[in-house]
Amino acid sequence: MIELQDLTCRFGDFTAVDAISLAVDEGAFCALIGPSGCGKSTTLRMINRLVERSAGTIRFAGEDIEHFRPEDLRRRMGYVIQSVGLFPHWTVERNIATVPALLGWPPARIRARVEELLALLRLDAARVRDQYPDQLSGGQQQRVGVARALAADPDVLLMDEPFGALDPVTRDALQDELLRIHRETRKTIVFVTHDMDEALKLATTIALMNRGRLVQVGTPLDILARPESDFVRDFVGREDHGLRLLAVQQVASRLRAGATVEGAPVQETMSLRSALSEMMTRGCDRLAVTDAGGRPVGGLFLEDMVRRPA
Amino acid sequence: MTSPRQALHLPGPLAWLVVAFIALTLGMPALRPVFAALFPYLDRPVYVQESFVSLVLAHLELVAVSSGAAVVVGVLAGIFVTRPAGAAFRGVLDTVVAMGQTFPPVAVLALAVPALGFGEPPALIALFLYGLLPVMQNTIVGLADVPEAAREAAAGLGMRRMQVLWQVELPLAAGVILAGIRTSVIINLGTAAIASTVGSKTLGSPIILGLSGGNTAYVLQGAILLGLLAVILDLGFARLARALPRRPS
Repeated sequence: MIELQDLTCRFGDFTAVDAISLAVDEGAFCALIGPSGCGKSTTLRMINRLVERSAGTIRFAGEDIEHFRPEDLRRRMGYVIQSVGLFPHWTVERNIATVPALLGWPPARIRARVEELLALLRLDAARVRDQYPDQLSGGQQQRVGVARALAADPDVLLMDEPFGALDPVTRDALQDELLRIHRETRKTIVFVTHDMDEALKLATTIALMNRGRLVQVGTPLDILARPESDFVRDFVGREDHGLRLLAVQQVASRLRAGATVEGAPVQETMSLRSALSEMMTRGCDRLAVTDAGGRPVGGLFLEDMVRRPA
Repeated sequence: MTSPRQALHLPGPLAWLVVAFIALTLGMPALRPVFAALFPYLDRPVYVQESFVSLVLAHLELVAVSSGAAVVVGVLAGIFVTRPAGAAFRGVLDTVVAMGQTFPPVAVLALAVPALGFGEPPALIALFLYGLLPVMQNTIVGLADVPEAAREAAAGLGMRRMQVLWQVELPLAAGVILAGIRTSVIINLGTAAIASTVGSKTLGSPIILGLSGGNTAYVLQGAILLGLLAVILDLGFARLARALPRRPS
């Protein structure tokens, strides 16, 4: 869906983004992650041409983005930023309707679409529709921000640290909502963050950047289990590394099929981290496991979890 | 929110002031006995050289034309220097307009007369230059105050530059710009009176004639009408500001 080829961006003598190449498949959830100033936001902003690149190419749906007018390109890419940027003089409804209105949709269609999006983001339409942004909580504002980005059913969603300014509880809830929306809509998402746990939780692909260069690209498990450099090892955290590794794997991956274990069963789709927590709570070293339908499929043993995967 | 006054449809202070102003403008000659009693030593206690109606109309026309031009030029210049293309001119423009403001109006008039002759043209030029600074300054400040996040979101969602300006920046800056226009018009209303020194007909005519001829009644008559007019315009602007679209808190 989006292909970056030798993408470079210079500001004067400073090279913010240095010849990176990356392909984001349709339906993927790609997290661009790295320390402050690593060029991740600049990379994102080159995709919708808020920043013009110095060299390299970006292809969107197979076509060079140079062939689009910037405005037309942006109307096909939802955009969400950390500071939300709702228009304070417009109601929630008018804010969400921004891009449909730019595209000249008829009012009835806009109204129906706003209704649909408020429901998708679990906002109370009757209450919120005619309110102004400053009457909403931070979490509600960002829900509206996401709804606004999705309004014209864009092919791609670009998100620049969208949950960075929220408190941990609200952030967690919105991450869950985003995962659900990604599952339901299969949108291609490019998501900038500096929070490894957020990237591990949300992304299907993680692209780790440092000083304008792409350091490693892979699935969350790849990045955790097979870090290619000390920088990656440091960034994914030496201290919590093992727990993070467990968090991105499911019970099914260490299942001893057919084993019978006493006690309340857990589902095979549970993360290994949650399963370990469950063992700690119960003070046991094994758990009975069932599939999604509740049929017993085997047991999970602490000794199998501790062993590194082959 | 509706106040009890609006609910009962009673006229507010603005309406009463307008009624008082019109009555005084039309009925000043009828107040001759009052002024005669107040200033018994004056032979002519009421200004009769021109009707007060014509003075008010001429005064308002002078202010409307000069302020109208100042608003158009000031807002356009303010928009221009806050665009990337015009940013380089911002400092120069600020300096030039601030200089225009420090120049005493009487000096501007005196300099304009040899070039433009007596009457309205020098007055219009002086008032235009005078009204320009508050409008331009507030336009720049108002546009600069627009939240960067709203601007970035507007561009990121695919608004064209003119759409960002019309749909986001100007509505958000409207309150501050209107405050600048209000200041500019009120200043010009007062300064216009001085234009009578170069032969423009304004509410300043009775004041200046009264000052030079020692006729305090004339000064009072011009000053009362001018004062009332200033309060009326100011209240009108306040009402306009309340009617603007919601401003973020």
